[in-house]
Amino acid sequence: MDFYQGKVLRLDLSAGTATVEPLNMEWAEKYIGGKGLLLRYLWDEVPQGIDPWAPENPVILMTGPFAGTSVSTASRLVVGCKSPQTGILNDSYVGGSFAPEMKFAGYDAIIIVGESPEPVVVVIKDDVVEFVPAKPKYWGLTTSEIEAAMREDVDPNVKTLSIGPGGEKQILWACLSTDQYHKAGRGGHGALWGRKNLKAIAVRGTGTVTVGDAKAFLDDMYRIHSEYVLTEDNLWANEEGTPVLGQIMSDAGVIPTRNWSTGTFDQMEGINSDAFLKIRTKNRACYQCAIGCRQFHEVDGIAGEGPEYETIAICGANCGIGDIAALSRFNQECDELGLDTISSGAVVALAMDFTEQGIKDFGLRFGEVDSYVTAPRLIASGEGIGGDLALGARALAAKYGHPELAMEVKNMELPGYDPRGSFGMSLGYATSDRGGCHMRSYPIADEIVGGSLPPDTLEGKAMKIVWGNPAEGMIGENFSSIKFSGIWCDFWAITPDQIAQILKHAWKHEFTGDEVFQIGERVWNLGRLFNLREGVEPDDIPHKLYMEEGAHTTGASAGRAIGTETFKNALQEFYQIRGWDEHGVPSEAKLAEIGVDVRL
Amino acid sequence: MPHVMISSKKCTGCHMCELACSAYHEGAYRPSVARLFSECNPTTGATKGHTCLQTGCAKCQQACPNDAILTREITVTVRGEFAGKEKVGDTVKGYVLIVDEAACTNCGECYDVCPTGVIHEHPDREVAFKCDLCDGQPQCISFCQNPHVLAVDLKVDKKDRDLAQV
Repeated sequence: MDFYQGKVLRLDLSAGTATVEPLNMEWAEKYIGGKGLLLRYLWDEVPQGIDPWAPENPVILMTGPFAGTSVSTASRLVVGCKSPQTGILNDSYVGGSFAPEMKFAGYDAIIIVGESPEPVVVVIKDDVVEFVPAKPKYWGLTTSEIEAAMREDVDPNVKTLSIGPGGEKQILWACLSTDQYHKAGRGGHGALWGRKNLKAIAVRGTGTVTVGDAKAFLDDMYRIHSEYVLTEDNLWANEEGTPVLGQIMSDAGVIPTRNWSTGTFDQMEGINSDAFLKIRTKNRACYQCAIGCRQFHEVDGIAGEGPEYETIAICGANCGIGDIAALSRFNQECDELGLDTISSGAVVALAMDFTEQGIKDFGLRFGEVDSYVTAPRLIASGEGIGGDLALGARALAAKYGHPELAMEVKNMELPGYDPRGSFGMSLGYATSDRGGCHMRSYPIADEIVGGSLPPDTLEGKAMKIVWGNPAEGMIGENFSSIKFSGIWCDFWAITPDQIAQILKHAWKHEFTGDEVFQIGERVWNLGRLFNLREGVEPDDIPHKLYMEEGAHTTGASAGRAIGTETFKNALQEFYQIRGWDEHGVPSEAKLAEIGVDVRL
Repeated sequence: MPHVMISSKKCTGCHMCELACSAYHEGAYRPSVARLFSECNPTTGATKGHTCLQTGCAKCQQACPNDAILTREITVTVRGEFAGKEKVGDTVKGYVLIVDEAACTNCGECYDVCPTGVIHEHPDREVAFKCDLCDGQPQCISFCQNPHVLAVDLKVDKKDRDLAQV
């Protein structure tokens, strides 16, 4: 079938074998690709109740049907597993050029199972798959080093997905890297690769992705680019990129500051968009993206892409760091070591808080640059304080008797939006299917950036979390589920109607916006079933984020509190809208209505 | 003569030009068989465009022992914007170098002399393939429409402008 390659590559690391299987097209029709198809495969591939660290826990790389075509931004890859960090589903997305290269090599998906007896690199050149020993040459390399080595040793055009030293050490939030700065960042896929002794997958594809009548398709994509992609709604990402959010969030009392002790950062001017514009050197794009949001910077000899807003917030403001060079260095260290910046910044901020409060002296203090920039390397090596930091925020806070200071949901450290400044985020975090994440629903778009909904109430927000407001660029859970099945980038504010226009090319029949939404709802419910099957914690967030006593006393969101009852009522309202019972279990009627094909 | 150039400074490395090129010529997406390409280093972000300079270069034509590189008249009308539009105008007449597949023996002489590395053996047919400006509507330029980028550009050699009016 056009757009799909119809092939899944299964890599058994224990046996050192590679086999090709047909892609399940019935599942593809129901779940499209990306997130949806990944979750459907995880449902079957993850043995129920498996220890996430066990060799049998697979890691699945899934593309979308439009990777390797002119559909803008749809080059993203999703990586999925049962997360060693959270124990529930983890779908983590990464741009760059790896997914299109996989498609050109002939595969829609790669399923990685087992555990290699020795560290290994898997080299894929179209239909030839080789298992290459990673020692002594590749094991231990940083992410830029392993990519350069693969270009040198395999093919100048090879695309590499790899772990750095953090993944080799199985740090809980180690990530996967590709094109150097692109990370499947969250949930510890890198840790699992480290456990599986998998250093890298390097792929070179010279094949074809068919789309039917290519000239007609090009004409329609030209129209879609002109009308929907290269518009003011999206070009902000090219012009300023996510650093633009820093000052907005600080002014709104939303940016987590000094381990979530306030929502406005007094040194924001050091790391806001104006500061980054001064050190900007160029602007790059992911494969097949017309927007191009990748901002390169250079300061004090540190050159490279990023940091993005979440890093600015959690590794900057949340650590009391207003020094752009120190922040850039920390970001670069995490990139090279293959560590997620959000979780890294969160545990460093927690350790700073412990030091400042006299609970435990980690030698880290808010705003102190010298110790701060060394922290990622200590985490990845386990030296000194690194062993403690690598516990993650929840276990670290528990170890020293202050669980209330850990800002995480389902053991995933929270990103850069304080719900006390944007109430909707409380529900977004609580109901996110992979734990503390801002990429499932983004009420910030309506409460802070767009400004059409008041940020200091939860009234009507449950509906927005479920359905979003795509016309104004706000994703909700159902819509992000279909958008990330495409896989379209969040930075294209695509609408259900536009998705329908593109899906039509693949499935050769018309879709309505409502049908697009329903696919998303189907995907979201499938994820919920997976989490219930594997055992998910109750949907909640750190209590100080909604308790009256937890209100900020300083900053732009001072004095605001959601209230415990209000939060709990809104959560029940959310379950009702979803057709779930009071414990968040989907009803049979709902599952039948939206066509979910599995049951608990 | 009209030819395509990629500004290495402006190119974001999105490869949309290669995708569109291959879809137009191959009937499916296959950028490994694109007639132009941008070389990108992901770590430094450095990019370098490789395109055919057509008659302004013509080394392939000179090297061909079989006269298989033909000069053909062409009228180029770009769909959409490009950086040099004001200078070049909406429509450019001129010449383009194309491969006469009946005459080409795949001897490889042209592959060795091409200074930009954009004439190769086709992986499915034993003949050379190269940029033909998409019969006058270059798809690479049409798919580089970000107003802040416009890296893929239509150029005309000044010294050749007289020739265009022959």
